[in-house]
Amino acid sequence: MKRQRRFPPSSTARTDLAPTLEGVIAAVRSYHPDSDAGLLERAYAEASIWHAGQRRRSGDPYITHCLAVAAIVAELRMPPPVVCAALLHDVEDTACPPQRIAGQIGQEVADLTAAVRTAVVSAHPQNGEGAMLASDAAAPSWETAVLAIRLADRLHNMRTIAFMDPARRLLKARETLDVFAPAACAVGLESVGRELQDLASAVLQPAVSSYAVTTRILAVLTLLLPSQRRVRWQEEWSADLATLTTRRARTRFTLHVLLGAPRLSMTLRRPASQEQR
Amino acid sequence: MGAPRMTLQTQLVLRALLEDPARLRYGLELCELAGLPSGTIYPILARLEQVGWLESSWEDSAVHEAEGRPRRRFYGVTQDGAEAAREALARTYRSRKQPLPGWVSAHQATGGGAS
Repeated sequence: MKRQRRFPPSSTARTDLAPTLEGVIAAVRSYHPDSDAGLLERAYAEASIWHAGQRRRSGDPYITHCLAVAAIVAELRMPPPVVCAALLHDVEDTACPPQRIAGQIGQEVADLTAAVRTAVVSAHPQNGEGAMLASDAAAPSWETAVLAIRLADRLHNMRTIAFMDPARRLLKARETLDVFAPAACAVGLESVGRELQDLASAVLQPAVSSYAVTTRILAVLTLLLPSQRRVRWQEEWSADLATLTTRRARTRFTLHVLLGAPRLSMTLRRPASQEQR
Repeated sequence: MGAPRMTLQTQLVLRALLEDPARLRYGLELCELAGLPSGTIYPILARLEQVGWLESSWEDSAVHEAEGRPRRRFYGVTQDGAEAAREALARTYRSRKQPLPGWVSAHQATGGGAS
């Protein structure tokens, strides 16, 4: 499959290209030399079993996403249990029995994956860890480990956002820019934060420019309305227009407003008491 | 105050609004709920507001600023409006066998309501 790279590669981007279990193990070992590769292998085997047959929207086997997230987490210098939890972070969506991960891999990893699913990411984490994490990622706090997996998950989803449907794409990009990127910077993961910001801005930017054109058309349209009503309708239409995510939907919206404008103008000029005929 | 003509489109808008009368909706949301294009919705909303069945107001600034988008205009059914709209919808139901489904003349409406 052809891969288009539209964004400058970042320090973590290289792990996205062809994440393999060997690559993940090597990355973990480079920061934690005496770590047990067997644990990572078992976690990978579990993830492979339960995600077998599942595919990403891109058509890639689902396990590539698990590996990519684990690779990002490993590059952040997180210890082996956190990388295992990253490999298994979506396993609860599969037929995997609830106690299975705790039994096969360990309670800590199982608790981590459960925490990743329920964690609420906030733009301003309250635990006040700040830049501590960058220096201390090899022995992160529980909250930082959970957040790192969530951020890595979002980062890989943003890297492959081209495969998402347009409506969700804009929503995810907005949320990434407003919540995930600031959260990453707040805990000292600036490289992740910057990449999230770049990826999200690239999605949101084109929408803003073509949106400006349709907004101008709507402004001209309000000239059909009684002068004291123009400002309100222009504002109302542009707000509704801003809700639409595709250029096509915006064009259709504007066209229909154009077609309905004479009728609206008539309505606004008619006294309220008059029965419509 | 007058009454709006109960066209099929007006009925669709009213049904969408009456599904959850306490909830405020913005124009585009109603387009989707009623399955009507934008150009049809706004004149209907303007008319319904004119006759007092609806009230509209700007979105709370805290909400749209937090979401980083322009403020929306929200519509809600007034208490009188909800009553009047339900009656009007019921009347159009009763006169369903008319050659032009979906709207009744003032004569039929008052006649049907009295009997």
